[in-house]
Amino acid sequence: MGKQISRFTVNGDPYEIILEPQMALIEVLRDQVGLTGTKCGCGTGSCGACTVLVDGKPILSCLTLAVTVKERNILTIEGLAEGSALHPIQRAFINNGAIQCGFCTPGMILTTKALLEKTPNPTREEVLMALSGNLCRCGGYVKIVDAVLAAAEIIREGGQT
Amino acid sequence: MQALKLFEYLEPKTVDEAVQILSKHGAKAKALAGGTDLVVSLRKRLLNPQYMVYIKSIPGLDYIQYNQGDGLRIGAMATHESIAESPIIRENFGLLATACGEVGTPQIRSMGTIGGNICMAGPSQDTPPALLALDARLKLVGHGGERTVPIDEFFIAPFETILGQAEILTEIHIPSLPTASAGYYQWITKMSSVDETLVGVAVVMTAGSVDGICKDIKIGLCSVAPTPIRARRAEELLRGNKIEDKLVEQVAQVAADETTPRSRADYRRKMTGILVKRAINETWRNIR
Repeated sequence: MGKQISRFTVNGDPYEIILEPQMALIEVLRDQVGLTGTKCGCGTGSCGACTVLVDGKPILSCLTLAVTVKERNILTIEGLAEGSALHPIQRAFINNGAIQCGFCTPGMILTTKALLEKTPNPTREEVLMALSGNLCRCGGYVKIVDAVLAAAEIIREGGQT
Repeated sequence: MQALKLFEYLEPKTVDEAVQILSKHGAKAKALAGGTDLVVSLRKRLLNPQYMVYIKSIPGLDYIQYNQGDGLRIGAMATHESIAESPIIRENFGLLATACGEVGTPQIRSMGTIGGNICMAGPSQDTPPALLALDARLKLVGHGGERTVPIDEFFIAPFETILGQAEILTEIHIPSLPTASAGYYQWITKMSSVDETLVGVAVVMTAGSVDGICKDIKIGLCSVAPTPIRARRAEELLRGNKIEDKLVEQVAQVAADETTPRSRADYRRKMTGILVKRAINETWRNIR
């Protein structure tokens, strides 16, 4: 395939990337598109820090070859806020002490977004299951689950998803 | 995170095209599905293919179809998530939905395919025991044509199968279960971040027409031998006989004796016995 100019849609915006097949999606997002909110933790799919949403589904951008998602809609953490207005999930994470070092946070929030779209009123157990692919080295899990449940309530009561 | 080494990327539109490409490039080419195992191997420099042949986007390979007569047919590119959430599979082949729902993490389940999983042939993978207990048949398409092999002939050694270099697994076919059948998948894990399965036990049983008789039983095990295995001697002990606590204990013990675990052998054998006994009792309870 060699080098190719490819169009990607990230957070609703079009980008032209010089794409090589061995590039992982995370490299394209961070190094070429310049969106460094997506974090690389392990590089081998075990930690979930690199989670982004592709067509609404949480996937691991460190294991996804960028070339395989050329035509899809990609959402990173930068795509959640509307201008300076934070998304209810972001606000809930801040208000519930769910952010310590912040490294797992983008992945956690995006996985949460996908969860709440599918299951607007999750139980604590369902939240734990949905977040089981996102590790928090700070051990912040309790607050994170609190934040997810709080966000769920805000969104059900009329905030947007 | 290390960048991946260069390779040529090819995106065939049909299975035949993919087979041609794999045939042409031989050992230099690898078929890429979800990438949750293959890309990891590339990143760890365990594999170095010159050609990556993307088969996940070939149309018509991710179906889930069921009818009573023919049974269940799953396209090899169906994701673990689609199988775990399929109402058809949850209703009729629940243990497979459970097994697929246990693979990796939610992200890995939405990316990874059952075909890729089977062909990876890791000794501790969750889907093979369920597929073994369900007598799955695998459709392999290669240069010379198609062949169907029973899954218990597919695995040779850790990460090694009978899949030819230029062959692609396209379909998993599971025959319908007889009436009065049920199945169950149970496991324990290594309690690590990856949470690999330490012992996995899948059981499918069919009740006989006489009360209390087990007409048929199949036991699939993972992570207790170089490949996923059937505990055939244990099955024989129970097949055609009346379910009784003492016999189930014996069956569980024989199943444990059939294992050849590499590490933590004592614990794995002991847990095999315990999980087989639990799975048999739970399955028997669920037979309608």
